[in-house]
Amino acid sequence: MAAANLNTIRATIEGRLATELAASPVLPVVFHNMPYTPTPNSSWVQCQVGFGTNEYLTMGSTSGASNNIIGIAVINVFTPAGVGSGANFTIAKRIRDLYNRINVSGVHFDPPIGPEVVASPAPEGYFQTQVRLTFETFEDL
Amino acid sequence: MAFYRGQEGSVKFDDAGTTAAAITSTRAWTLSVEKEALDTTTLGDTYRANIGGLISGSGTVELLYTASSADETNVFIERVNTANDDGTALFELYLYSTTKKITFDGVITSAEYSATVGEIEVITCNFVTNGAITLDI
Repeated sequence: MAAANLNTIRATIEGRLATELAASPVLPVVFHNMPYTPTPNSSWVQCQVGFGTNEYLTMGSTSGASNNIIGIAVINVFTPAGVGSGANFTIAKRIRDLYNRINVSGVHFDPPIGPEVVASPAPEGYFQTQVRLTFETFEDL
Repeated sequence: MAFYRGQEGSVKFDDAGTTAAAITSTRAWTLSVEKEALDTTTLGDTYRANIGGLISGSGTVELLYTASSADETNVFIERVNTANDDGTALFELYLYSTTKKITFDGVITSAEYSATVGEIEVITCNFVTNGAITLDI
């Protein structure tokens, strides 16, 4: 057993999304700390994975013990403004279906939150919704 | 002065009563040791008098279900369903390290298996002691 590699967990989550959005219809996806200049009136997706609370799961010190690692993937879906929400929600459904209650390489996803409409899109000029995916994984020391 | 936190504890068990092995994924344990008080008050006494009587113990072990079968864990969680339990199963409850422990033979009297949506599956086993309780704490 070994401490969890958070970078591997991040890559697992991001890789699944990248693979899905590389399939038709293809959509650009941008991750944390990556430069991206969106094309006006286009659709695109932003994915931000972060880790939060870590908890004791079992007894034991630095070996033979387990921790619970909780995180969230915040996925912003951008579609052209002024043409309704249908196209945006179609993309959001693709994302939602991709993670809904699944277990990928030991990362357990809860039922997704959203898509929630973001009142003030950032960047401006798009219709933006947000799908939030809480997840947990178990670290065996 | 040293203080210790719960995660430094552990539980070992052996149904054969010889060499205890770790119960994996233990989340908590408790042991309550009780001594009966025998009333020796006599007529004319102003204050009630007591002496110590029989000592007994009971407690719980709470663990997370892992489908483990490579150690004593599976034996432990199924022990309650064993016929003709002679009470010689060895329990070792550790407060710290591999030396600060409470040792006794005992009987697992009940086990509660549970599964709840969105939560880790938990099993709680209750036990009573059989014979001497050794406190090396």
